[in-house]
Order: sequence, then C-alpha cells, then structure tokens
Amino acid sequence: MTSLDLDLPAASPPPRRALRLRGPLLGLVLPLLLAAGWQVAVDAGWAGGRLLPPPSRIIESLWSLAVAGELLPHVLATLARVGLGFAIGAAVGIVLGAAAGYARLFRDLVDPTLQALRAIPSLAWVPLFILWLGIFEPSKLALIAVGVVFPVYLGVSGSILAVDRKIVEVGRVFRLKGLALVRRVLLPAILPAVVLSLRSGLGLGWMFVVAAEIMGASEGLGYLLVDGQQLGKPDQILGAIVIFALLGKATDAILVLLARPTLRGQDAFGGRN
Amino acid sequence: MLTLRNLGKTYEDGTRALSGIELQVEAGEILAVVGGSGCGKSTLLRLIAGLDRPTTGQVLVDGEPVAEPHPLVGVVFQEARLFPWLSVAENVGFGLRHLPASERAARVTAELERVGLASAAGRLPRELSGGMAQRVAIARALAPRPRVLLLDEPFSALDALTRAGLQDQLARLWTGDRPTLVLVTHDIEEAAVLADRVVVLRPRPGRVDAVIDIALPRPRDRDDAAVETVKHDLRRALDRSLGAGRQGEAA
Repeated sequence: MTSLDLDLPAASPPPRRALRLRGPLLGLVLPLLLAAGWQVAVDAGWAGGRLLPPPSRIIESLWSLAVAGELLPHVLATLARVGLGFAIGAAVGIVLGAAAGYARLFRDLVDPTLQALRAIPSLAWVPLFILWLGIFEPSKLALIAVGVVFPVYLGVSGSILAVDRKIVEVGRVFRLKGLALVRRVLLPAILPAVVLSLRSGLGLGWMFVVAAEIMGASEGLGYLLVDGQQLGKPDQILGAIVIFALLGKATDAILVLLARPTLRGQDAFGGRN
Repeated sequence: MLTLRNLGKTYEDGTRALSGIELQVEAGEILAVVGGSGCGKSTLLRLIAGLDRPTTGQVLVDGEPVAEPHPLVGVVFQEARLFPWLSVAENVGFGLRHLPASERAARVTAELERVGLASAAGRLPRELSGGMAQRVAIARALAPRPRVLLLDEPFSALDALTRAGLQDQLARLWTGDRPTLVLVTHDIEEAAVLADRVVVLRPRPGRVDAVIDIALPRPRDRDDAAVETVKHDLRRALDRSLGAGRQGEAA
C-alpha cells in the first residue's frame, strides 16, 4: 500500500490513507454477512429458499450459464447497449448543456422545452420509439440515451451558471477571452460537477437498459430476467440482478477513476471519519 | 503612469458610485485610497482594472485609454481567488503562458521565493492558510511584472498579526521592481505604513475629498511617532469626509 501512496501530496492527511483500503472492505461486510446468513438458513432447513434461492444456487445457475457460453453474450449485449446509449446521451447532454450554460439566448430559447421534455416519464417514450425505430436496437439505444441526456444536460448547464464570478474575473484580469477563458477557467471549474452528472446519467442508463430489454430482447441481462420469470427460475433472475449490481458499480468506479485527476482541487466535506 | 480623467460610474439602477475623479499617479508611487463604505473605492479599482466600464471620463495607463484589462496592470482582490484545481506553482504561473516553459518555471520559483512560499509550490490552494493564499495571489499578480498593481483591501480578511506581516512584506516586494501600487483599504494604519499619498474619498457619490502626502522614509515602523501622527491626520480626514457625505445627503 505504500507504493500506491507515493504520488500523494505530502500535506494530505494521513488517516485517510488507512481508510482508503478499509472503506471498500467495510462495504463488503454487510452483503457478505446477509448472503452467508441466508445460505446457512436454507442449508439448515429453517427457510425454503425456493423463491429466494441461497447464494450457492445463484452462483451455480450463473456458472452453468457461463459454462454453456450463454452468459458472456448476454453481458456483452447489455454492456454494448449501455455504452452506446450512454455515449450518445452524454454527448448530446454535454453539447446542449454547454450551449445553455454559456449563451443566455440559447438558454432562454431551449431550456423551457428541455425541462418540459424532462418532466415526461422516460418510459412513456417506449411505444413511440418502437413505432418510429422498430423493436430492435435503435429504439433501445434511444430510450437509454433519453435517460442519460437530461441529468447530463442539467448538470453541465447548471455547473456553468454556478461558476464563481470571482474566479472568472481573475481570468479576465489575465486577459483571457472566448475559447481560452473556457479552456483555462470555465472547463476546469465545472469538471467536478460534470463528472457527477455523468455518473447519475450512467446510473439512469443502467436503469433504462433493463426497461429496454424487458420490453423485448432476445439477448441481454434484461432478457435473462424475463426468461427467468417465465420459466420460474428465481436463481437466474437473482443472478442477473447481481451482475447488474457488479457492472453498475464497476462502470461507475471506472468513471470516477478516469475523472480523478480533474477533481484534485475539490475541498469537500467528505463526511466524518 | 496612471491618469484618471473626470472618472464617473453610475450603475444601471441609478446608483451614482463615483463622480468626477481626477487623479494622476506617478510611476513607482504607492497610492492608498481610503474612505467609508459605499464611497466607491472598489468601483474605482474595478474601473482602473478594466473590469467595469466608466460612465464618464477615462482611465489612461501610460497615456493609453483602458477599455479592458491591461497587460501592464495586475490585480490582487480581497479574497485570494486562487484556481482551486491548480497547484500553488501553477497558480503563480497562470499569467506566464506566453513564456517558454523553462523561463516560466524559473520565474515561478523566483516569485514564490520572494513571498517565502518556495516550499509550498506543489500544494493545492485548499491546503493553504488565508495569509499564505493571499501571498500566492500577490505572487501570481506580480509574476508577469506589471507596471501597476491594484490591490482591493487585500489584507482585510486576515487577522491583525498576519495583516501587519503581509503589509511589511508588500513594502519589501515593492522595493524590487517598484511598480505603481494603488491600494484600496479601510485600514488607516495600512495606508500610513505603505503609502506615499493617500486619497480620501467622500461617499454618495464617491468623490475625492482630500489628498494627503506622506513624506516619511521607508521602511516605516508602524509604532513610530511620525506614523502615529499620520494615522491621526488620516483618521481626522476620514471623519471629515464622512461628515461631508452626510451633509451632502441631507442637502
């Protein structure tokens, strides 16, 4: 762990270092304890475990899917949908948000409409998207992108409007204008908020991929959910849910990791130790 | 070096912040601007800095009218206003983009040494105390070697001890390049210790009420009897200006 910490600034408080490893480990305690408890309860015959199968059966179900070569295609299909839908939604959200945050006229013109669209429950688009784009990939991607676009738009435009006027003034004193001001002052100032909005966008992307896959898909983790329900295989449903949890957490962690260098200036409360 | 001609500022809501300011500041002079609250001290500085446009008159730097921030004019604000995502060294080098990297690094190191913060080069602003942050802000403003440095109540947010230390440090820094300093302050002692000349503003609208020359040698000792006398004079002038302002309001 010392080798990991070599590049830390000398002034960062030492107690945090010990906590960095302890934190994630601590987070594992509760789910593992619950899983182990349920396993013991079912093994000992205290509980039936038919509708809520114990961890061993969930792992077994996933394992047999994996061995049959079925699991990976499902996982990849879902990942591809989330990835592509997120990319489209995030790109559109960033462009619209940047324009609305930077240009008053654009904001006055477009923001009310976007806010109205945002108020529509995204699932309400499903029938329309199917009519427009068909039952296959495009309608699914559109739904995911719609889920992603609004939190990103809101986060980006809001963060630009919230940039400290005083900091921008320092930029002006050094005679920065236009693109240079954006690149050297506005962009770094909004990055933490943008990362946050991307994270909530990604979370919604995962939410909507399930909706998209439940409404009709021949592969993907959402398909495994529907299939498990129709064939009465709760272990398969729970298996898919566990994979959703793992993938959701992993993709979020990747986003945080990628954004880490941009967040170093933050002086946040960070919770109490 | 710096000429203010019939300078006036009326805000959109009709507030007359400044009116008819005539002032000539020589190169290397340290000018303090004092006055009660609402007398337009900060407005005056923002006009000189080119951050706001005057309603009447103009600001000339080296004979050139100022319409936007001028390359020869640096500004230190009341708050340090460091860029939180940049290290101390990167903050100091912010205005040096035009220099080659090696020269920039050397300049940053030199400036940090001058303010006694060479060891803090790699730190982030959130790790600095208020006094350290303000020293970084001064180094950042001085790094491009401005001919005029504007300071807007730069030490007012600091405790008395730190403030006195920074005032002395500013006086020492000034002896290097001897830039023209325009120091807006409400601290009589600060003006007495640092300035060659003190402009007392009268409020509503802000006008020049009195100009007081301080012909004391530097470095000045803030406990010196002569400095005490100057402080006394300044306080009386300030009281008079506030009284005049109130009368103006009543009339």
